[in-house]
Amino acid sequence: MIWAAFALMTGAVVLAVLWPLGRARTAAARAPDVSFYRSQIEEIDRDLALGLLTQADADVAKAEAGRRLLRVSDEPIADGKSRGGARMAAVAALIAIPAVSLTLYLALGHPDLADLPLSTRVAERQGQSEVQSAVRKIEDHLAANPNDGRGWDILGPVYMKMGRYEDAARAFGNANRVLGDTPERLTAQGEALVYAAQEAVTPQAQEIFNKVLDMQPGHPVAYFYLALAREQSGDRAGAIEAYSQLAQGTPPDAPWQPVVRARIVALGGTPPAAQEGPKGETADAVRAMPSDEQRAMIRTMVDGLAARLDADGRDVEGWLRLLRSYKVLQENDLAKAALVKARNALNADPDGLSRVNALADELGLKS
Amino acid sequence: MIVEIGHYALVLALALAIVQGVAPLVGALRRDAALMAMAQPAAVMQFLLIGVSFAALTHAYVTSDFSVVNVFENSHSLKPLIYKYSGVWGNHEGSMLLWVLILALFGATVALFSRGMPDDLRALVLAVQSWLSAAFLLFVLLTSNPFARMIPAPIEGRDLNPLLQDPGLAIHPPLLYVGYVGFSITFSFAAAALISGRIDAAWARYVRPWTLIAWIFLTLGIAMGSYWAYYTLGWGGFWFWDPVENASLMPWLAGTALLHSAAVMEKRDALKIWTIFLAILAFSLSLLGTFLVRSGVLTSVHSFATDPQRGVFILGILIFFIGGSLALFALRASALKPGGIFAPVSREGALVLNNLLLTTSCATVFVGTLYPLALEAMTDEKISVGAPFFNLTFGPLFIPIVLAMPIGQMLAWKRGDLYGAAQRLTLACAIGFVGAVLLYAMRGGPIVPPVLAGLALYLIVGSFVEIWGRVSGGSSVGAMFSRAIGLPRSAWGTAIAHAGIGLTLFGLAATGWGVERIVTVKPNQPVVAGPYEIIVRGLEPRDGSNFRELVAHTDILEGGRLIATMDPSRRSFTTRTMVRTEAGIKTIGLGQVYMNIAEVRDDGSLDLRLYWKPYVALIWLGALVMALGGLLSLSDRRLRIGIAKRAATRVVAQPAE
Amino acid sequence: MTRKGRRLTLIASALAVIGAAIGLALFAFRDGVVFFVTPTELAAKTAEMRPNARMRIGGLVQPGSVSKSDDRHVAFAITDNQTEVKVTYAGLLPDLFREGQGVVAEGQLVNGVFRADSVLAKHDENYMPREVADSLKKQGVWNDGKK
Repeated sequence: MIWAAFALMTGAVVLAVLWPLGRARTAAARAPDVSFYRSQIEEIDRDLALGLLTQADADVAKAEAGRRLLRVSDEPIADGKSRGGARMAAVAALIAIPAVSLTLYLALGHPDLADLPLSTRVAERQGQSEVQSAVRKIEDHLAANPNDGRGWDILGPVYMKMGRYEDAARAFGNANRVLGDTPERLTAQGEALVYAAQEAVTPQAQEIFNKVLDMQPGHPVAYFYLALAREQSGDRAGAIEAYSQLAQGTPPDAPWQPVVRARIVALGGTPPAAQEGPKGETADAVRAMPSDEQRAMIRTMVDGLAARLDADGRDVEGWLRLLRSYKVLQENDLAKAALVKARNALNADPDGLSRVNALADELGLKS
Repeated sequence: MIVEIGHYALVLALALAIVQGVAPLVGALRRDAALMAMAQPAAVMQFLLIGVSFAALTHAYVTSDFSVVNVFENSHSLKPLIYKYSGVWGNHEGSMLLWVLILALFGATVALFSRGMPDDLRALVLAVQSWLSAAFLLFVLLTSNPFARMIPAPIEGRDLNPLLQDPGLAIHPPLLYVGYVGFSITFSFAAAALISGRIDAAWARYVRPWTLIAWIFLTLGIAMGSYWAYYTLGWGGFWFWDPVENASLMPWLAGTALLHSAAVMEKRDALKIWTIFLAILAFSLSLLGTFLVRSGVLTSVHSFATDPQRGVFILGILIFFIGGSLALFALRASALKPGGIFAPVSREGALVLNNLLLTTSCATVFVGTLYPLALEAMTDEKISVGAPFFNLTFGPLFIPIVLAMPIGQMLAWKRGDLYGAAQRLTLACAIGFVGAVLLYAMRGGPIVPPVLAGLALYLIVGSFVEIWGRVSGGSSVGAMFSRAIGLPRSAWGTAIAHAGIGLTLFGLAATGWGVERIVTVKPNQPVVAGPYEIIVRGLEPRDGSNFRELVAHTDILEGGRLIATMDPSRRSFTTRTMVRTEAGIKTIGLGQVYMNIAEVRDDGSLDLRLYWKPYVALIWLGALVMALGGLLSLSDRRLRIGIAKRAATRVVAQPAE
Repeated sequence: MTRKGRRLTLIASALAVIGAAIGLALFAFRDGVVFFVTPTELAAKTAEMRPNARMRIGGLVQPGSVSKSDDRHVAFAITDNQTEVKVTYAGLLPDLFREGQGVVAEGQLVNGVFRADSVLAKHDENYMPREVADSLKKQGVWNDGKK
């Protein structure tokens, strides 16, 4: 169907180009110039009649225009011959137009993708509008009772999912203000601030992550973002050191390990050997955490990433990170689902797509 | 499927543009009529294809198809319908699509309405125009593709920047683009003339209507943009000498110069090199504006998300076309035959002076806009060149233009009589002088506003003196009327456009008499601004489709009597978490009361910006009058003669329209 | 008048106009040009600056530093995360003025306090006055979101 439309369009274009070639014509290229100078002379007569020109001026002007008229009349007129050129042009157009347009379109377009107007997505939309109306209700409620900490606490993650990071940061902040700081909520707030600043760890976010570390030394998420902050501020050595600490100090199968190691490599450092036993302050702290708490924390990080990629899936690095994390968490089904999503989302990005596929092979995700 | 058809149509347009760029060019060089004739249907087809593409994108916006990345990033299902339409060009990709659409529109228009033009010139013009199309289509497809898709599609979009959700935005960019891109056709004419080597008075006649069209739209676009800034940005300013505004002013100045020098070229076969150069310059400055705005070299409200890759691409286009045309120019310029001669004091002389002043003032704007960029690139020192610089340079250069305008109209071609012209302007001078003195006596204050206002009065009156001179010889009112009708419309156009500049100048001068009040008020507490009393009666929260707003119902009283009401508000847009103030503006006579809520305090009192701006409407009315003058000139019979003549020789008669 | 004479007239008038324009531009550059500095540069350069020189400073609004009084006088601090400068401003702040966000103030330094006569805030979430973005980028406080 769509190919028929394409063929029709291409045909119309080729025809439009070929049409004039088939018609014999005689060119009188200079005729318009001649008529222009004639009209200029007529104009002078008219101006003279209206009294806008003196007779003397009119004579001079007419003489001048007359000279120009003679000049163009002398010029040769184009001939309408040389059919060979036309034949060549016809062949070129016939081949070049479909060739150029098809090659380029196949590289850029998605002929298999149907339109997706919102009206056809009733089911999806219903869920969405329910969420939205719920959010509006909570917002109204909170506008009247700004000290309802639980309300803010509920709203925070929802905003996060909707991609409204600044609002999320505000909501988490309010929840902390009312309910008191907890490392989880502070971390969520910090993360929201980072996303809101387009992944820049702002001074405000740094302050929050520092607070988390005060409350819970070695908190890996906070630690990670502070290391990222160092990286962003240009402190390469410091960042490598912080990342290495995190890599060494936490279990070798922790989901952030691939990311952290990738950062170290990207900064030109060598990641610490994986088999080295955990040591250092961070490691002690993480090891000291009950393992389900560790796991829960890891899950929050991964879920956040997944939600963000759902909202905007063009971040290749994000997908790679997510796939690795799921693999480490041994969530094979989730990993496979994410792989499908990633392939769809990166449809327009062949480079990213091949990287994702390569990683999938490496991780043994068959689909 | 519609989206993909739009995408394919765009790609197809590129393929066609390449063919259209080559075949007619070869045809014109080899004098092959059949190849030349390919240009016309191709140009029309190209426009249709890009039109299909644009319609497809619009369809995606209207149906909120968030599988299209561009729609997702710039639309929202709850956005009012008009902004779903205007949102199409309220972003980088869509606006570039609009750009190529207009490029193709001009090509198609030339193809359809240029019967009175030599075949080879038309073929060359369309070929060059198609080179431009091809370059920009490639730019759109490779760096700014509006048809990029995304699966899974998000269920809701990110919404359009609230500053851009405004009726002004719905019309301002298209107008401005028609103006900007309109100069592409004069550029194509110039390049065609250079390629064929035929640069003469007839060429000037063919190019004139296109220059006029571009100039009219650019005038309207700039005025519209300035009015948009005036009422959305919320501090009552209408021109900020912002680099992006300068980018639109520069082609306007060059285009105005071109309009005048082309008149000399048409009438007298003189100033040929200069006119061709101006045609190239006007479009080069349009391109430069695009580059500055789109490359991220400048940041402002107008630059959407920017990307260095795009900047480099546009820079490449810029260098190719400007460099190429200037090289051609250098090659041909020396071979030109000298044209008609004229004395320094003559209509031509006055137009040369006009050109000199316009291009120089254009150059000062250019320096002020680009100097900070150059300085930063070289010394890493950051400066901003602000309004004082432009006022001090542009202003003094524009005053002699204003003074000379009526004189130039009065001078004859070839050799003029300066003394006689001055004599006939006595009345205009007297009115200007008396007006300035009276205004100074009435309004007081600094000396500059009344002087400028006097100058404006002189210009408005002076613009019509020449017409009056031609008409007043009639023996009766009836005879005078028929003489006035009999005058060429271009004479009326000139007078009216010049008077429009006078009106704008008067409006600008009157800003000196405005009143600005920054106050904190409680509801029902009156504030005096100029001759009026403004009272906020009460606040009311309202829900819009994608925003919530707090409206202040406000009364305007004069001498205790209610004369008008207005409803300024503060809007908060939920998706983008942005607040925008919606100014309350009431036009009373030619002046406006302007009110903006800067903040609503917890105790219910309001921080307000209040202005009384007498005659401010004249600034934009003047621009409308200028455009009207341009339109009248465009309808002049002379510009259509070529068409009519040619039509008469054809079997199928064209309406002599 | 001969052809040569006309050409001379033309050239002379062109030179006169261009000369006037250059003169005006140079004159206007003295007052119309405003330097942009970061708080750190301001602190370093205070000594060598002309007294009462107009300038623009840009940075982020220091969170928690904003205080407003009833008569619409505002005091806040602009920071580049190394140095902060106290700013006073009498007037209405733009809609988008927020703590922790980019801002540019134009005015003069008086006794160590920057007295602003205009304050510009960023226009939307992607917009930051370019000077601010550049100087913050140098310090890695802000990035484009793309890596």
